Amino acid sequence: MTEQTQSPCKLHLQGVSKSFIAPRTGEKTLAVTDVNLDIDSGEFICIVGPSGCGKSTILNMVAGLDTPSTGTIEKDGAPVTGPGADRGVMFQDYALMPWQTVEQNVGFGLRFGTPGKPFTPEQREERIRHFIKLVRLNGAEKKYPHQLSGGMRQRVALARLLANGPDILLMDEPLGALDAQTRLILQVELLQIWGQTAPREQRKTAIFITHDIEEAVFLADRVVVMSSHPGRIRAVIPIELPRDRSEHTRAEPNFGRHVDQIWSLIRDEAYRAIGGSEEVAAPV
Amino acid sequence: MNKIIQTSRGLAILRACTLPFILLVVWQLWAMRQPASSPAPLPLQVVLTAFELVSKGGLVQALVQSLGRVVTGFFIALALGVVIGILMGSSRAVRESLDPIIESFRPIAPMAILPIAILWFGTGTSSALAIVSYAAFFPVLVNTVHGVSRIDRKLVLAAQTMGVPRLTVLTRVILPGALPSVLLGSRLAMGVAWTAIIAAELAVGAKSGGGGSGGIGQMMFVFYAYSINLNAIVVCMVVVGLVALLIDRIFRAAEIRLLPWRN
Repeated sequence: MTEQTQSPCKLHLQGVSKSFIAPRTGEKTLAVTDVNLDIDSGEFICIVGPSGCGKSTILNMVAGLDTPSTGTIEKDGAPVTGPGADRGVMFQDYALMPWQTVEQNVGFGLRFGTPGKPFTPEQREERIRHFIKLVRLNGAEKKYPHQLSGGMRQRVALARLLANGPDILLMDEPLGALDAQTRLILQVELLQIWGQTAPREQRKTAIFITHDIEEAVFLADRVVVMSSHPGRIRAVIPIELPRDRSEHTRAEPNFGRHVDQIWSLIRDEAYRAIGGSEEVAAPV
Repeated sequence: MNKIIQTSRGLAILRACTLPFILLVVWQLWAMRQPASSPAPLPLQVVLTAFELVSKGGLVQALVQSLGRVVTGFFIALALGVVIGILMGSSRAVRESLDPIIESFRPIAPMAILPIAILWFGTGTSSALAIVSYAAFFPVLVNTVHGVSRIDRKLVLAAQTMGVPRLTVLTRVILPGALPSVLLGSRLAMGVAWTAIIAAELAVGAKSGGGGSGGIGQMMFVFYAYSINLNAIVVCMVVVGLVALLIDRIFRAAEIRLLPWRN
């Protein structure tokens, strides 16, 4: 296979599993098992699944914050050994430094960033301004996180993620804490910023975790559906919706079809999780 | 807007002064009814004595000496407390190794180490410093450990995913994150240090027969044991109280200045 070096495969997860040992009881729990996944460069992947299916565990292992118990994770053909600025993470509760202003937070990583490519102070300033403008936070530069609304904090986190210039964007339920309307708006914004109107080779590779099926279908090129106990990949669904996507995308027949398809994959488990049975709870 | 702030500040000062003023009046009235032979201190006498002590009694020098010891001892305690506190707060192994010994020393009052301090360091400044640093160390340490251990772990992880080297995480995440607790610990430490120095100087003064160590505590001992001047003792007490109040206010102001994100 001579094309192998030409392959746009950005991330390669093979036979990945992770088990945790409870510190007191010594009991071993298998969080995820047998994860095989190839992600192309510029691809937007959403991972959906019930809570406890190990979605965050996979993300943390790609970020290098956790090490797989078995299997390998490779980025651009090289194994992932620890955290690095090439894989940026946006945490569920944003993880902004509370003692830093918006602009300090956005610029937090720029002093360190990618090894061998330090920014000059002018470049740093320029980048901070650029990304603050991109997420439309101008005017809030000197504010502290606690002075901002949830939606604004989320934008700061996004600006910080992008300003640091990672190859891969890892997002752990970043919109989870927002109200429904803000979510819809930010989903569209997120796709714009990610570069859905740009040619594919200019887009970042993104892994986005959510438990909202509609959100996953709206954002993703492919949706990875997981099930729990132990967490494993149930199906990988390519989303047949054109870019660029907008509010109207939700009205397309394929949108509803994909949502339904994914829901049918996880509904049994979802019903079991709340202790009901599908037959009883099924609508008329 | 400004006017409102000014009036509310004026009101606060008025409220703060009312009770002391009433107490002074009551005290004066009570003292005036005592027989003339009574050694009861009189507010007016106290004020006169205060002027006397400041102008030729060496009160200012004694105060400077005591404050110098407190500040030096405080910084020794701050350096030790913050360093050990960060180690204990971030490493479970260090915490488990040090916690028992620290928790068993902590309840030993600073004055209880005085005999050893005098035997080892004599009745001078080094003895006073040892006691002050000992007293101030624990509040700094305990609060630093607390501050470090309750830093959101996600912040450390976030820094790592942004390429921040391990050691830099300390200065960019751990230290600023623990700063509110460190400042709180410092304020408490300065308070106990000031309490300890007066007691230490009093006791060291007693041991050295009124000579030697100096400082405001020793000055009080001399007024107590030699010249029996109650008014002067009251002056010293008032000065000690005022200095403590001033220290507390300085630290509170520093907290507001250094932690703009907290308001």
